[in-house]
Amino acid sequence: MTNAAVSVRSLTKVYPLPFRRRSVRAVQDLNLDVQPGQVYGLLGPNGSGKSTTLKIILGLVTPTCGQTAILGRDSRETASREAVGFLPENPYFYKYLTATETLRFFGKLSGFHGVHLRQRADDLLDVVGLTDARNRRLSTYSKGMLQRIGLAQALIHDPKVLILDEPTAGVDPVGSREICDLIGSLRARGITILLSSHLLAQAQEICDRVAILAEGVLICEGPLAELISMPNQTELVLENASDELLGKIENMIAQGGGRLVARRNPATTLEQLFLECVRSKKRPR
Amino acid sequence: MSEARHADGGATSTEHTAVTTRRESPLRHRAFSPQRIAAICANTLTELTRMKVFYFLLLFGLILIGGSVFLARFSFQQEFQILKDISLGSMSIFSSLLAIVTTARLIPQDIEDRTVYSILAKPVPRFEYLIGRLGGVLVLLAVSLVAMSAAFLAVLYMREQAVLHETARQMSAAPGDQLNQALQAIRESAFNLNLFSGIAIIYVKACLLAALTLFVSTFATTSLFTVVVMAFIYFIGHLQGTAREYWLHQHGADWGARLFLAFVALVFPDLQAFNFVDEVVVGTAIPLMLFLKTVGLGAFYVVLYTALAAVVFSGKEL
Repeated sequence: MTNAAVSVRSLTKVYPLPFRRRSVRAVQDLNLDVQPGQVYGLLGPNGSGKSTTLKIILGLVTPTCGQTAILGRDSRETASREAVGFLPENPYFYKYLTATETLRFFGKLSGFHGVHLRQRADDLLDVVGLTDARNRRLSTYSKGMLQRIGLAQALIHDPKVLILDEPTAGVDPVGSREICDLIGSLRARGITILLSSHLLAQAQEICDRVAILAEGVLICEGPLAELISMPNQTELVLENASDELLGKIENMIAQGGGRLVARRNPATTLEQLFLECVRSKKRPR
Repeated sequence: MSEARHADGGATSTEHTAVTTRRESPLRHRAFSPQRIAAICANTLTELTRMKVFYFLLLFGLILIGGSVFLARFSFQQEFQILKDISLGSMSIFSSLLAIVTTARLIPQDIEDRTVYSILAKPVPRFEYLIGRLGGVLVLLAVSLVAMSAAFLAVLYMREQAVLHETARQMSAAPGDQLNQALQAIRESAFNLNLFSGIAIIYVKACLLAALTLFVSTFATTSLFTVVVMAFIYFIGHLQGTAREYWLHQHGADWGARLFLAFVALVFPDLQAFNFVDEVVVGTAIPLMLFLKTVGLGAFYVVLYTALAAVVFSGKEL
């Protein structure tokens, strides 16, 4: 298809409702390209077709028409999933397994074995901060811990593409921040990330490019910075500026033909405040 | 915003180092991998073991102990026959129940819990997933039957020894030849090779039921539906042999009737053909050819139902 890490061409998915003689059009004529190294956000309200699109890309659902590919390989080929890791929404793994057993199981499915697999599992447990809970069964894990073990299993085979369905859904702000940080570090090493979310503040923080879907139709797509920028406005943030200096600047703006839209003290975000409060009281894990 | 992101990335530098450690890549993707199947099989066995399904073996043990205490009042031939009848009958029922109940929940539960997404999002073909799941159940059935057989044979051996000692004591004054004949008769009525053939056929029947349950579960939406359907198939399967004989006797054997009956036999396997308990109990020898044909028929059904399950599951929307 193209050199894109993930490509979606003319994708349509219709779910028939047999007893009602109707059908639901979950995705309609969708075209996307996720370039290597990008963090790509698939945004939209519930029922907009995000999860269906991801499932089709992973070969879990068959498209009604159109085609999807991962690193140039058709999604219908099992081999296309060799280079992709997937974190489902609200992941639910075998609760009778421990974290170590879970990672080894998924590692074996990906072709790893022996010392290499054990080492890889240990590394990833460290990465997601579950080393201390490695021998606990997943039935005792919190939602945030399940999300982290889900991320570790998605990374077990060192994939080039990572697909995350609502990666921070139901996770508290601290866990959510850790997952965002991890996504940042994965991007830094060149892993392509395609994620779906309806948490827009987080998507704005981590995505390079976004697509907004509504009722299965692509409404808007492009680089995030371009989509949200306001080209006719400029923001200056000053430190230790006196009232006299600010007065002068306002006069200069007026004389230069500009208009001062707002003058205010910048505030920290509620998330930042929460994280600072919680981290100062954080118990050892 | 961009600066904030890089600052966060710096805070996780230890993690970053660990993630970025590149290791040798696994082998290229193979269309069929026994290693992947073995991983799924072992996981299924772990799942079923940790669900404590082996507890039913305690029930089998109670039946065996209770039966052997009750049987002490019969003659040794009757005692051994009833002990074999109760034990082999229980083994057949328990292994069939275990095959149906454990297999019925595997696929619907994985789909409901979405664990199947994580597995099939790896380079695992759907048929390998099914074979692995079924393989785990077949190993569980084998382990269970070995445990039940060991308990049964141990009880039979103890009863045989008790009867031998009692007979030797009672016939201590009899001539040596007469005593040896009596002891030989006791040994022959307790143990013979047919016991093992009978147990092997019970295993084959349980495997067939597990494969059929797997097939039904690929289009069922709940475990309950699968169990109910399998309960019907179980009874039809045990009665269809009799019904077929009656039909052929009443209506003759024209090709249309034969085709219909062959179709019914394919959909509902003749489970009575896998019932050798009566022959084993009365000590009738099971001909080798009949044994091999029955094992072959069981293997054919297992392959057929697994293939059908793979076809249905390959097109299933998850």
